[in-house]
Amino acid sequence: MDAKFAKISPFQVDPDKIPPLTDEDFAPAAENEKEAMVEKHKSVSYWRDAWRRFRANTVSMVALGIFILCLLFAFVGPLLIPYGYGDQYRASQKLAPMEFSKGEEKIASITGNCDAFFATALRPGSITALSKGDYYINYKGTTYAFTLTKALEKSVIVLDLDAEDPLVIVKESDIKDGTWKKSTPIEFTDTPAEEAAEIKLVTRVFPHVFGTDSAGRDLMARTMYGTRVSIIIGIVAALIVLIIGSIYGAVSGLAGGAVDFVMMRIVELIYSIPEVLIVLLLQVVLKDPLQAWFDSGTSAFAKAMGDLGSGIVSIFITFALLFWVTMARIVRGQVLMLKQQEYVTAATALGANNGRIIRRHLLPNCVGQLVITTCLQIPSAIFLESFLSFLGLGVSAPMASLGSLCSDAIETLSIYPYRLIFPGIILTIVVLTLNLVGDGLRDALDPRLKR
Amino acid sequence: MDEKKTLLEIKDLKVSFFTPAGEVKAVNGISYSLGYNEVMGIVGESGSGKSVEAYSIIGLLQPPGKVVGGSIEFEGENVLEYDDEQMRQFRGNKVSMIFQNPMTCLNPVYTIGNQLTEALLCHDKGYTKEQARARAIEMLELVGINNAEKRIDQYPHEFSGGMRQRAMIAMALICEPKLLIADEPTTALDVTIQAQILELMKDLQKKENTSIIFITHNLGVVAEICDRVSVMYAGHIIEQGPVNDIFYDPQHPYTKGLLASTPRLDEEGRERLIPIEGTPIDLLNPPKGCNFGPRCKDCMKICLREKPPFVEVGEGHISACWLHFKDQAGKEEKK
Amino acid sequence: MAGYIIKRIAVAILTLLVIMCITFLLMNAVPGSPFLTEKSTPEQIARANAKYGLDKPLYVQLFNYIKNYLKGDLGTSLKMQEGTAVSKIIFHQGKFRLSIKLGVYALLLAIIIGIPLGCIAAYNRGKWIDGFLRVLTTVGVAIPTFVLATLLLVSFAVKLKWLPTLSSSLTSFKSYIMPVVALSFYYTCYIAKLTRTSMLDAINQDYIRTARAKGVKTRSLILKHALRNSLIPVITYLGPVLAGIITGSFVIESTFSIPGLGRYYIQSVLTRDYPVIMATTVVLSALVIFMNLVVDIAYKIVDPRITLTGKED
Repeated sequence: MDAKFAKISPFQVDPDKIPPLTDEDFAPAAENEKEAMVEKHKSVSYWRDAWRRFRANTVSMVALGIFILCLLFAFVGPLLIPYGYGDQYRASQKLAPMEFSKGEEKIASITGNCDAFFATALRPGSITALSKGDYYINYKGTTYAFTLTKALEKSVIVLDLDAEDPLVIVKESDIKDGTWKKSTPIEFTDTPAEEAAEIKLVTRVFPHVFGTDSAGRDLMARTMYGTRVSIIIGIVAALIVLIIGSIYGAVSGLAGGAVDFVMMRIVELIYSIPEVLIVLLLQVVLKDPLQAWFDSGTSAFAKAMGDLGSGIVSIFITFALLFWVTMARIVRGQVLMLKQQEYVTAATALGANNGRIIRRHLLPNCVGQLVITTCLQIPSAIFLESFLSFLGLGVSAPMASLGSLCSDAIETLSIYPYRLIFPGIILTIVVLTLNLVGDGLRDALDPRLKR
Repeated sequence: MDEKKTLLEIKDLKVSFFTPAGEVKAVNGISYSLGYNEVMGIVGESGSGKSVEAYSIIGLLQPPGKVVGGSIEFEGENVLEYDDEQMRQFRGNKVSMIFQNPMTCLNPVYTIGNQLTEALLCHDKGYTKEQARARAIEMLELVGINNAEKRIDQYPHEFSGGMRQRAMIAMALICEPKLLIADEPTTALDVTIQAQILELMKDLQKKENTSIIFITHNLGVVAEICDRVSVMYAGHIIEQGPVNDIFYDPQHPYTKGLLASTPRLDEEGRERLIPIEGTPIDLLNPPKGCNFGPRCKDCMKICLREKPPFVEVGEGHISACWLHFKDQAGKEEKK
Repeated sequence: MAGYIIKRIAVAILTLLVIMCITFLLMNAVPGSPFLTEKSTPEQIARANAKYGLDKPLYVQLFNYIKNYLKGDLGTSLKMQEGTAVSKIIFHQGKFRLSIKLGVYALLLAIIIGIPLGCIAAYNRGKWIDGFLRVLTTVGVAIPTFVLATLLLVSFAVKLKWLPTLSSSLTSFKSYIMPVVALSFYYTCYIAKLTRTSMLDAINQDYIRTARAKGVKTRSLILKHALRNSLIPVITYLGPVLAGIITGSFVIESTFSIPGLGRYYIQSVLTRDYPVIMATTVVLSALVIFMNLVVDIAYKIVDPRITLTGKED
């Protein structure tokens, strides 16, 4: 072997180190051997690939997780807490966060001479001379609260959980050495029969985590409910925009020519109207007619809408009238682009009509764009709703949305800032996570970024 | 032509892209040298690493791309050791580059003149603005743009594709660099414009005494302008030699395939072009043996196992293929 | 250029007419009269209707509106300041000036802070400051204006007492701080995000590679080559920003009790003061439409490729 080796390549092999080559080495290689050299990449479907990319996006995955927590908070949460969004607890107004309710459950009342109560062997509480107000008794680790609506003189509260009526009031004079005679009847000589004293006692089952409002409603229950309302409004509004926008855009793009021209001028016109001015006006205008429709309506649809209230329905109408233009533009753009594609030309050549082309060819191909835009529409709808509710135009009490809760909190803001902070934070989190999920979807679904 | 003195010497250059899927060895150990006034053609398919190699000379590699080994010596200095400021002074001044798509390579919001003079002004060559402008007009005239006085104040979108590429060339040569790297400068142009640009580059190369590294996938262009040619495949140079040897006596099966797939005017008898079957290998998982093996119609058992070494097949003409050894083995047997 | 502007103004006037028609239809879609109260008798209502021309057929009323507007007469208030000319209420009682000042300051703040923040983030891509700014701006565009406004009010005015609680007159510099910051915060963050994205987009363009190959300094690459190109999408967004700032001003004005146009608009809608509704709608719409025109012209200045012609695109 006397070939001259050029000293040039890193694969330069020292002539002496070249392995002894046999004729066998120079035999032609078989096709399958050649193929075996190249590792084949598995081709993955668009959706699986998109999902893989979405999963790889940590921020979006975390955002999705938090958003699911928000959904649980809004839809499952109300089942777990003992308070309803509209229930008013008279004795529990203006509670701070984590405070417990007082006197929600009446367990005993004393009317006149309450000699029906007896105590069994139990240490009495140390309270004497009960004035009006709230009391707590701690027994075996559980705190019992009660409220006296009238002062009781020279009496002692005795708690006996084994008895049928766990709460007993004993005259102080009857107690000797920490016990009292079991069968001593209690006499309330100084309590006139007609002036009844009420004793309420409730176990502290669940705190008011977010506190209560001035009407004694649990703010966490209201926030949960408000989150649900806001999310539903966001999703429904986005779907309305999706449906109207994509139909309008697809029709405009497919029709082309003069129809397209006129339809796009209409879009431009709506686009240049400052929509919020019209939205505010619409909210006021629609209120009475909608209410009249709900009241007169016998159909199930009117009834269902009536349950939502005029504020929410008019938000939907607003979206249906004004907010679909961006979606229509996007869909039209997609349609125009796809119209150039060969498979659409092929389908047209094969005699498929427009409806079929839309259903079978165009929509599946621009579905990525639609998903992204719809996902990002949800937070903006939530924003608009909260804006309207904040101005007192959207959702009205006893219903609540995150915006109306913030609005309710404004008057007492300097004293009870948490009433704004809790719904405000939830609103921010919902919008933030939806934005991030939308961004993640865009990165995952946009084929232009595909490697 | 003085080929004894070396302007640029590349030794065992390795460039990798660190992608989430793994390390892509885009350039896997290439070496060559370039003399003063020499025009070297680098030919290969897209993805063969020819542009990446050029970018690493001029320091334009962007993360995740990184030079992982070897050296690039320009007039005896290793440019890979330059710091950012030295590299900046080097770029555009001693080495400049023109790119494939003249439609997107000029900044749309600044005038041609602004972009031309910027190249001069950012290298502190002592030009005033007026002098720079005069020089820019001179360069525009040199590259054959009529009415340069007026044209200099126009925006790129007012230029046609061919004129933009001329402006690009003017911009690249304005600092009188010793080396011009042309990355597919004619690919995006119409055929007639292509010929004009090539003619211009040939002229300017002689006038300005510039060395050129001419990167292309078009062998016809190479024949037109180059002194020497390197053929790249999957991150390696597989054949290198004087332009005539490569054209009339190609040794590597890939070069042969490349020539067979290129239309030529000088071969009367040939009736049709023969494409190279298959696609380039996946650089994430390069094969153990010869990179071209899976597509080579002469692939042998040894090609599956070992990478072939270079063999000098003629004066300054090297090729890396096991077939050369087969001939050798055959001869020896006959003896 | 001139032809383009004339065409745009014509379209703007047409748009304003359409807005007037829509507003008029919406106002009159509510049954009953604005003078309907619990105490009023039918005769009183009829008299009031007749006095303000509300008894005429709708098309006559609409025609009168348009006719008067073309003459520059915005009508007289029916309820809120009964008998006062609307133009006087809007322009001479400081409402318009107050809202415009608030809006312009907020817009300027958003641009002056937002664009540099976006540049800083893009320039330091992947470093901690980029991460910090990304978190800040991402959270910033998720905080509703009213939440931010009220929180600012509670913390800086009520608790810390650094800034005045009532900004109603907007007399001092201090009184502007909170409303302007609250109003512009969302847009500052949005513009910063947008600038960052388009800057990174620009940095990946071929002409940046060319400039780098020329040996242009990194700072000049960013500030000269990338910035101007990346401003194009930001400018596009400025039209919607102004519309959004007007929207936001409704909330800001009611939170900080600023007697501006936005607050007045809501009051007029709630009290059904027709001429005031119409006038404020038209004035605010005209503002937004005018801003869109300004944006399109600013486009031309930044991007020489755009030629403003009267032709349809």
